[in-house]
Amino acid sequence: MTRHVKWTRPLDLGGTSRSRTGFALVRCASATCITFALLAAVLPSAAAEISVTVVDRDGRGIEDAVVTASPAAGKAVSAAKPAVMDQRDRAFVPRVLVVSVGSRVEFPNNDSVSHQVYSFSPAKRFQLALYKGETHPPVTFDQPGLVVLGCNIHDSMVGYIYVTPAPYFGTTEASGTLKLKDLPKDDYQIVVWSPYIADPPASLSRSARVEADGAASERIQLTQPLRARPEPRPRRRDWDY
Amino acid sequence: MARMWHRALLTLAALAPLAAGAQDRFTLDGDVDLRWVHAAGETSFLNGGLGLLRFDPDHDGVELGRAFLAPNWRVTDIVSVHAVLDTYGDHNRNPADVSECYMDLRPFPTGAIRWRARAGAFFMPVSMENRGIGWTDVYSITPSTINTWIGEEFRTLGAEVEARWLGASSGYLGDVSLVAAAYGWNDPAGVLIWLRGWGLTDRPSTLFGTLGSPPIDFYHEIDHRPGFYGGLTWRHHDRLEVRLLRYDNNADPAAQNAAGHDAWRTRFTSLGARIEPGAHWTFIAQYLDGDTAAGANYEDEQQIYLRFRSAFALASFEWGQERLTARFDDFHTHQISGILGPRSQDGHAWTLSWSREFADHWQLATEWLRVASTFPPRIFLGESPQQVETQFQIALRYRFNFGW
Repeated sequence: MTRHVKWTRPLDLGGTSRSRTGFALVRCASATCITFALLAAVLPSAAAEISVTVVDRDGRGIEDAVVTASPAAGKAVSAAKPAVMDQRDRAFVPRVLVVSVGSRVEFPNNDSVSHQVYSFSPAKRFQLALYKGETHPPVTFDQPGLVVLGCNIHDSMVGYIYVTPAPYFGTTEASGTLKLKDLPKDDYQIVVWSPYIADPPASLSRSARVEADGAASERIQLTQPLRARPEPRPRRRDWDY
Repeated sequence: MARMWHRALLTLAALAPLAAGAQDRFTLDGDVDLRWVHAAGETSFLNGGLGLLRFDPDHDGVELGRAFLAPNWRVTDIVSVHAVLDTYGDHNRNPADVSECYMDLRPFPTGAIRWRARAGAFFMPVSMENRGIGWTDVYSITPSTINTWIGEEFRTLGAEVEARWLGASSGYLGDVSLVAAAYGWNDPAGVLIWLRGWGLTDRPSTLFGTLGSPPIDFYHEIDHRPGFYGGLTWRHHDRLEVRLLRYDNNADPAAQNAAGHDAWRTRFTSLGARIEPGAHWTFIAQYLDGDTAAGANYEDEQQIYLRFRSAFALASFEWGQERLTARFDDFHTHQISGILGPRSQDGHAWTLSWSREFADHWQLATEWLRVASTFPPRIFLGESPQQVETQFQIALRYRFNFGW
């Protein structure tokens, strides 16, 4: 079983460094500061991290919740390698995938039956004609927003691609926690999303301050009951009756 | 010539694996279902009696449950053609026959409403149990009284349009669909529930064949008036599905064709729900209530008017490759007026079923069924109106699937 990456950091470090340096230039006007900022950009700084934990009303961790962290400066850098949204046992795997704006996503069909993947979400409209295996080239997601995936043959198949402009993101583990590492010192806006969370979006956003080699942690406890998660069963030879 | 055929077949055989797994534009599903049956009780209505089950003491032992082929051709990305070819090895006048054959048009959704249309011969969206290809019951061998009857007397020979609201796009984990259909050739529907009452068999009718002894064929257009149905399906969080359907074949109960077939005005409402609270359990309940009328051209006291209702509750537990199901059926008909003496039927049935999948192709299923019923016309056969019938079956099913 393929397990998707739990957290992702921009791979294109050059781009990230440039944006960090630019940010430092605005804040420090003196030559000393510029030197310091350049050094900070070149030399590895002490790792800072944010740990975000999402729990339900009873304090139980929520798996597969999307967490994004946006610094006051800096923007998303699309990953060099395409992300993967697989199809197995008449379900999208993973059900929730988070990618940065501009990323490409492959849609291999490793199921025993053919699928027709589509989305009519404003962030990305596309259709993949009936296929099995790896027929179609990767799809580029160049607008931020939520892309809801469906299969035109199997209506119960639903998947989500969360396209974020934030440079730091991932999905929570079974414990409900996601650790975002190697974050530069900054003020961050943390946003949590999951199709199974019913709480209003405003209550799922936090501000966090990350110091140079410090660690910040945020615990988000939901007030609404979770929506039921689909529990796929082996639908061996279903037909649409 | 023979050599040419041989060469052509070899070429086809060589091409098939190349194409296989590519896109499945053409698929062929099939089942062969062999049974060992032990039955006790009355002679089945399929064999000339008034028993409610498929098999009886004179027709048990090793039997062919069913064999079918279900080809599906995706002509384009949004158009497909589906058919089911059946054989049951019983009194059907056609040894092999068509059960379904329709074209399915399913455009890609461009908004939250997804349209779909079907035209041809197909099952109406009413059963909560028959979810498998070939309209097979996935929970037990024999469907409930309600869905036995749906399989016996009804096939939509016409066109159906569905509008489905895809909730996921709006953040709602579920769908709502509305369906409407117009059809013909369903004018005799109702004759069997009057003649026999409710039954419990996995022997649906086929389009050109007959059912029972004396044989009944179901698909005639007698009054040249179309019938209709409208339905609503609500799927909530992948855990709950509710189906409501109103059916009215709109037949003229005074109409009769040259061959003497009466038109039966049959109407019913069905409401069903299926709940799957976790990874193992399934609970289903369905209720159907309706009436039928025929012979409006007969003398007053001979005009037939029958009301009917049935309900069942089912619990099924699935773990790994195995499934265990228990179901209780309750059923009644009430003849308000009509011919051939009192014909009201009352009864209930218990069904217990266990099945196991082996590898990709084999399934072993067993089922024990007990039905107790009262039906006055049994007196004419020299029997008591009250009968208890039991049937035990072991089914060995081989299933295959090819794709090109």
